Amino acid sequence: MELADRAVGLLLSIISLSIFTYYTFWVIILPFVDSDNFVHKYFLPQEYAILLPVYAGVTLICFLSVFIGYVMLKSKKKKA
Amino acid sequence: MKHIIKIMSLLVSVSAFWISLLLTSIIPESYTLLLPIYLIVSLGCYGLLMVGIGLMRFPTCPYESVLLQQDIVEAKEFLKENEVDVGSD
Repeated sequence: MELADRAVGLLLSIISLSIFTYYTFWVIILPFVDSDNFVHKYFLPQEYAILLPVYAGVTLICFLSVFIGYVMLKSKKKKA
Repeated sequence: MKHIIKIMSLLVSVSAFWISLLLTSIIPESYTLLLPIYLIVSLGCYGLLMVGIGLMRFPTCPYESVLLQQDIVEAKEFLKENEVDVGSD
């Protein structure tokens, strides 16, 4: 089963590297490019560069709190 | 208590650095405003990359696992002879 592990590890690394390069390009390089260059087609408007990470962070925190609350309720019901 | 003080001092120093960058305008202001979010996203990316690399380089030791299975079988036989309950087979 180590082949499945290595495939998952490779997939995770590729996802993280692509997210990093896309975000770097979006935030740092794109404001220097002229506004009628064709590259702007491939990137969303710049407000989304802030909204998407904030939205993902809020979703993560909500999911974590729901999970912790669920586990705490389940352990309390089992003890009672 | 000391650990909290270390973390708080790190946070205060990072925010002081960011506010000083905003006030002195070394970098254009639109970049400085986006800098904290960019650092947080790159930190998350770096963590994910380390997890992926650790998964890829995990050592499985197949030879030791075979020896371990043999040890388990021997121990079960020995304990069964001495009438100890070794669970399901």
